[in-house]
Amino acid sequence: MLLPGALRLLSHAGVMRLSAAELGRRLLVERSGVRVILVRPADVPAYVDHGAADLGIVGKDVLWESNGSHYELVDLRFGPCRLVLAVPEDSKLNGPNTWPPLLRVATKLPRTTAAWFEARGQAVEVVRLHGSVELAPQVGLVDGIVDLTASGRTLRENRLRIAATLGSSTARLIGNQASLKTRTEAVQAMVARLREAAKDGD
Amino acid sequence: MTDRSAPQLGGVPGFRDLLPDEAEALREAQESLLEEMRRWGYRHVVTPMVESIDVLELGLSAEQRRRLFKFSDARGEVLALVGERTIPVARLVAGKLRSAALPLRLCYAGPVLSADEGRFHQRRETYQVGAELVGAPGPVADAEVIALAARCLEAAGLRRYQVDVGHAEFFQGIMDAVRLPAAVKAGVRSALAARDFVALEDLLARTPLRSAEHELLLRFPALRGGPEILEAAGGLVRNRRSEQALSELARVRELLVAHGLGAVVGLDLGAIRDFDYYTGVIFEGYGPDLGRPVAQGGRYDQLLARFGRAAPATGFVVQLDLVWELLSSAARPPALPRIDAAIAWSGSGLDAAMRLGSTLRLFGMRAVVDTEARRDREARAWWRALGAENLVQCRGASTVAWTARRGPTRSLPPEQVAARLAGSLA
Repeated sequence: MLLPGALRLLSHAGVMRLSAAELGRRLLVERSGVRVILVRPADVPAYVDHGAADLGIVGKDVLWESNGSHYELVDLRFGPCRLVLAVPEDSKLNGPNTWPPLLRVATKLPRTTAAWFEARGQAVEVVRLHGSVELAPQVGLVDGIVDLTASGRTLRENRLRIAATLGSSTARLIGNQASLKTRTEAVQAMVARLREAAKDGD
Repeated sequence: MTDRSAPQLGGVPGFRDLLPDEAEALREAQESLLEEMRRWGYRHVVTPMVESIDVLELGLSAEQRRRLFKFSDARGEVLALVGERTIPVARLVAGKLRSAALPLRLCYAGPVLSADEGRFHQRRETYQVGAELVGAPGPVADAEVIALAARCLEAAGLRRYQVDVGHAEFFQGIMDAVRLPAAVKAGVRSALAARDFVALEDLLARTPLRSAEHELLLRFPALRGGPEILEAAGGLVRNRRSEQALSELARVRELLVAHGLGAVVGLDLGAIRDFDYYTGVIFEGYGPDLGRPVAQGGRYDQLLARFGRAAPATGFVVQLDLVWELLSSAARPPALPRIDAAIAWSGSGLDAAMRLGSTLRLFGMRAVVDTEARRDREARAWWRALGAENLVQCRGASTVAWTARRGPTRSLPPEQVAARLAGSLA
């Protein structure tokens, strides 16, 4: 959930002061020449790639899954989470040497998951699910899941443990390639402000 | 639910039918582009939709090859549907045109295919018009091709556009000069190719060396502007390749000013393109409010040698679909040509109607002669359904009735119709 962090950043950078409630209600807020829109995380790259938004704030995990033509400009550092392989607590699976010839995993991030295992020479059958991934290994659908976790609590509650970390994600600032060229000054100035604000937030 | 007995009237996903308005607009844009290229002395060539995979492999990256539609013919040869046409043109220049004197100016138009659904609108078939100048090295040729690209965008009807010019060697020179382990350099290249500046910063932050060239790499997307950035960059690079690139860019910019394009040309040292393909000046054309380039091109001096006829070359393609998208979203979309005259007939009027149709077409008007006899209200209904500007009713050999849209009906001798229509349409 990157919304609170993104709003803090916008306010800290002096771009716009907005409450989550207000943006959530209106979805599009325009003030002093800047327009802020709220879209689902997975839709952010589409808005930016098509040029409907000059800049976007989105988790790296979403960028792994999308294959867009945007520029990834700044690591904004908030909203950290890890992409992990989690297996049932009583599972024998652990490091790569314990993986079966064909590993079955459920995930909401099929592209990233398939690419990561393929890069390690592990055959994998990826089952794409849209929610409650934690349930899948408990009912025998798969050997494990690949999912995002910030604290690991949901995993523990579902009696899953982490067997491997595939990557770590934070919020990123992305930009449309044409915006950077056709409105260089305005866009670069905004990027610089957000970059500074993100640094201060550390 | 799909009804398996019904034919798939929607077509194949990723492929589009162009209905009359769009097809006509696309054709007009294509013709005006080819016409502009012809004015610059570029000869039109047509290369097939299909090429042997062996030929295409000489010029395409692994990623581009993956995106080809491939199939094998009855002899077992692997063929592909073309995804671009620079390589087929290179094949022509090195093959059937090998005795033609260089430089050669060639242009082409047609659809290209991608097995992947594109990032935008999931299109797998798009239309391109391109031009190649083969056998001419140096800034004068570079500037000619960029100026032609700009004039093509104007000819197609774009009122506002800009052209960003960069140089592939500027980046290559920096990569030569920075002292980094080979693995890090490979990482830098792939981060830049993926336009991932966060990964780039990470990589460079982990190297102890700090040089002006490091800073340049980090500021890559921001290295754009007017001629002043050439000087700014010149103060930061310390390698021959990058310096040479900067001086070539300065010269190309001067030439583009002489071409009358100073106002639309920007310099972009951070232009990121296919590093293995382009060898010199590169450029992209942008229209207003469109998130991607409508034209792109540059110098590729290594490609022809792979076909056995080493020659410098430069060229570009215009994405016709995007031109259409820009035109149709403009404040005032271009007026589409309509049918000028609907010619209805009744009684003994068919001969007169056909003669009149021929006459109007001779004058360059668009005329449709009805396929069945109709008069009065039926004729008017037919006219409205056709959406023509004028209705001409031929009831006999001697007089016709002419009705303009929102105008009265007048009786005229047939020989006066062409002149009156031309006058009212002008």
